[in-house]
Parts: sequence; structure tokens; C-alpha cells
Amino acid sequence: MINFEEELKKFYPSLEVEDAADAIYNQDLTDVADLLIKMVQEADVKTGKQ
Amino acid sequence: MFCYNCGCRLSEHDFCTACGADVSLYKRIIAVSNRFYNEGLEKAGVRDLTGAINSLRQSLKFNKNNIEARNLLGLVYFEMGEVVAALSEWVISKNLRPEKNIADDYIDMLQSNAGRLDSINQTIKKYNQALGYCLQDSKDLAVIQLKKVLSLNPKFIRAHQLLALLYMDSEDWERAKRELRKCMEIDRNNTLTLRYMKEVERMLAPDEAVKQPSRRKKEEAVRYQSDNEIIIQPLNVKEQKSGGASTLLNLGIGLVIGLAAMYFLVVPAAVSNARNEAQASMAEIGNQLDAKTSRVQELETQVGKLQTEIDGLNQELEGYVGTEGTLQTIESLLKAANAYLETKDVYQTAESLEAIAATVNVEETSEAFSNLYHSLKKSIGPQLSADYYQEGYEAYRTEDYATAIEKLTKAFEYDETNMEALYQLGHSYRKSDEKAKAIETYQKVVDLFPETERARKAQGYIDDLQ
Repeated sequence: MINFEEELKKFYPSLEVEDAADAIYNQDLTDVADLLIKMVQEADVKTGKQ
Repeated sequence: MFCYNCGCRLSEHDFCTACGADVSLYKRIIAVSNRFYNEGLEKAGVRDLTGAINSLRQSLKFNKNNIEARNLLGLVYFEMGEVVAALSEWVISKNLRPEKNIADDYIDMLQSNAGRLDSINQTIKKYNQALGYCLQDSKDLAVIQLKKVLSLNPKFIRAHQLLALLYMDSEDWERAKRELRKCMEIDRNNTLTLRYMKEVERMLAPDEAVKQPSRRKKEEAVRYQSDNEIIIQPLNVKEQKSGGASTLLNLGIGLVIGLAAMYFLVVPAAVSNARNEAQASMAEIGNQLDAKTSRVQELETQVGKLQTEIDGLNQELEGYVGTEGTLQTIESLLKAANAYLETKDVYQTAESLEAIAATVNVEETSEAFSNLYHSLKKSIGPQLSADYYQEGYEAYRTEDYATAIEKLTKAFEYDETNMEALYQLGHSYRKSDEKAKAIETYQKVVDLFPETERARKAQGYIDDLQ
């Protein structure tokens, strides 16, 4: 049985056009490739590679 | 594909031919990202938009520079009515690859038409307002607002879902189902939609169970093929033989029902309308009557005032032209003056003047009237006074004091310098035992003719009488 109050909590206000800029700036764009590069760089630092 | 270390184009080898960096893992990551992108594209193709979003997000988690995946994610958001999310993805995409990017076209499409962007923003605001109404328990307002939202943006999945939830809350299952079907036409595999649909179908299930026997009835029909046609003959249906009579009966019943509906629905409404119109007319007539009554009362008051004014004027006119009016008095005075000038009859003139004095107060008349009256009286005064004095004195001597008082009073009245007349009048009062009047008259002698013998004697009488 669906509980209206509980279901309502799953709906959240939609972003307005004025808020788009904030949404873009606050987006975390770090991907797995970034992590990999970072890991490789850290490994290189540890092993003394240039 | 370019080397993450030096930026050179990579070959089929697992290392960079320019810098020698190991790119095997990097190549794998890019491949996984591409695989997720392909999956997302496939899902978007069959309108599994939720699935597509998940895959494309995965793709971007592996490789944020997967421009195709990001652009497609924006497109999928846009299709679901999430315009701001779509715009965000396209803007990021444009920043990552400023040149030769289709996101440029998408952004232009939105930004070139200010009206459309404004309309989209209004839609979002209305949706947020509807959500606010839901939280405030104003569900009717929320439904109205969501309908407006969907008329502006029919692909807004979340609005459809919220509307369906509101319908479900009010147990309007059919409408909820209709909204959920619209959701499924846009996004076939949305978990929330599917869950709501399952609930709606469960609630509608008993009705469908009732309908099942009728389906079975159809199955209980006899089917056979005649030439190229399949004939289906139902077993449990009896053919109606008296078709004409039943048609007439049905028509009759329909007519009766129609008349009854007319009587119970249309006639009361018409009667009510007529009654309302009559009441309105009566109210209007009543208002007009009140206004006219008020006007009549006003006019009656005016008539009363005018009548009073007329009466006053008539009275005034009567005062001028009546038997005792001013005009009449003036005429009498003129006649008296004329008679005196012609006949020199002082008695006749005196009689006329006395008549005038009896009708009006000479001191209150006009200056000309008063002057003429006094001039005339002065002209006849000395002679008349002398005559009255003689008559009065004779009466005094014969001890007829009443006549003496009358004549001597007139004698002094016509000539106020007639000291003897006043003095004898005092004697007459004294002799007739009118003590107060005698003292008063003697006092006048003392006052008007001081330092005379008569004054001295009058004072003696006063002293004796007091």
C-alpha cells in the first residue's frame, strides 16, 4: 500500500533556470580516469620517477 | 584517444609512443566508459530513459570527457522535462569541448527563444508551487497547478508522477492510471512509475475479476468457418422475436424517462429562473415605488410650504387692501385731510382721525402717514381742544364728572398745551373719587407746566390727596 506522506518525501523541488549556474559549479566532475592519473603520479613520486 | 600524460594520440599499443607511459589501464577505463555510453544509447533508443540515465552517468564517472555520453544525458533529461539538468550537462559539455560540439546547438535552441526559456522556468516554478501545496495539504490546488504544468510541459515525468500520486491518494485510480500510462509512454522503465502502476492495478483488480466471466461467455461461443468467413455464434444468447413491439416499448420508456427528466430537472430550473426574475422585477419595482413615494412626499412638503407662503402673502395683501388694511387707512386719512381742507369741519375731521387711530397704531405706520396724521391733528387740535374744554368745563360745573372727564381728556389730547383742560381734568377725577388718576393728572400739571400758579395748586392737591 502506498503511503502518500512517505512518497511525497521522494519528490524534491526542481531546479529553476536561475539556479543552473550553481548546479554546474557544484557538480563533482572527478572521474575514474582522474583517480587513475593521480594514483600513477603518486606511485611515480614514491618510486622517484620523473 | 589521447595520452593522459603527454596528450599525444595513442596507438594500438599499451604504452604511449611519445612518452612511454603505461596506458593499458587508462584504455580499459575509456573502454568501460564507452560501453556504458553504448548501453545508455541503446536504452534511450527503446525509451528506457531511467536506464539510459543510469548508464550514461556510469559512463561519465569513468570518463568525464565522454562528450557524446554527456550530450546524450542532457538530451534524455530534456526529454523527461528536466530542462535545467539538461542545460547543465550541455554547458559542461561545451566547456570541455568548445569546438564542434552539438551541445552548442542545443543551448542555442533554448537561449535563442527567450519566450520558451521563460515558459520553461514558469513551468518549473509552478511545479515547485504544486509540491508546496502538497506539503501544506492543499491537494486540490496542487492538482490544478500540476495540470497547468503539464499543459505547458507534457513530458515532465515528475509532474505526471506527482499528479498520479495525488489521484491515488484521492482513490481516483482510473485517472492515476492514465497519468502513469503517460509517464510510461515517455519513460518505460521508471521504477517509481512501475511501482505506482502496480499499486493502481492492484486496486483496480477486483473490477477486472468481475469482468472475466463475460470473457468466458465469449469463449463459450460456437465458431465455424463458412467459405472465407469465420462465423461466431453465441450459445447463451436468445434471439428476440418481437423486435417491433420491443422497439416501441423501448421508445415509450425512453419518452417517459425523458419527460420525467424534463419534469424533475428542467422544469424546476425554469421555475426557479422565472421566480428569480420575478423577484428581481419586484425588487426593482419596489425600489422605483420607494423613489416615487419619497418624491411625492418631497413635493407634498414643498406644496405645504408654498401654501403657507401663499397664506402669508394673502394675509399681507389683506392687510394692505382689506376693510381695515393699510391702503384703506391711507385712503381714510386722505379723505379726512381733503374734507378738512374743503369744509374746515373740525368735528368731522376729528371723527375721521379717531376712526383711523382706532384701526391702526399711528406710530407704527410710515413716516409720511404719521406726519400727515399729526399735521392734521395739529391743525384741528387747538380749536377742537377749546371746544372740548368748554363742554367739559360746563359738565364739571354741573357736576357731571363723567362727561367732564371725557371732554377734558379729549381737550388735552388735541392740544397738549391746554393746561386748564388738564388741571380741570384733575379736579374732575378728584370729585369723582378717582384718587389715583387725580394725583396722576395733577402730577402731569406739575411736570408739564412748572413754576405756574396751576402747578403750585396742583401740588397742593397732590399733598392733600396723599
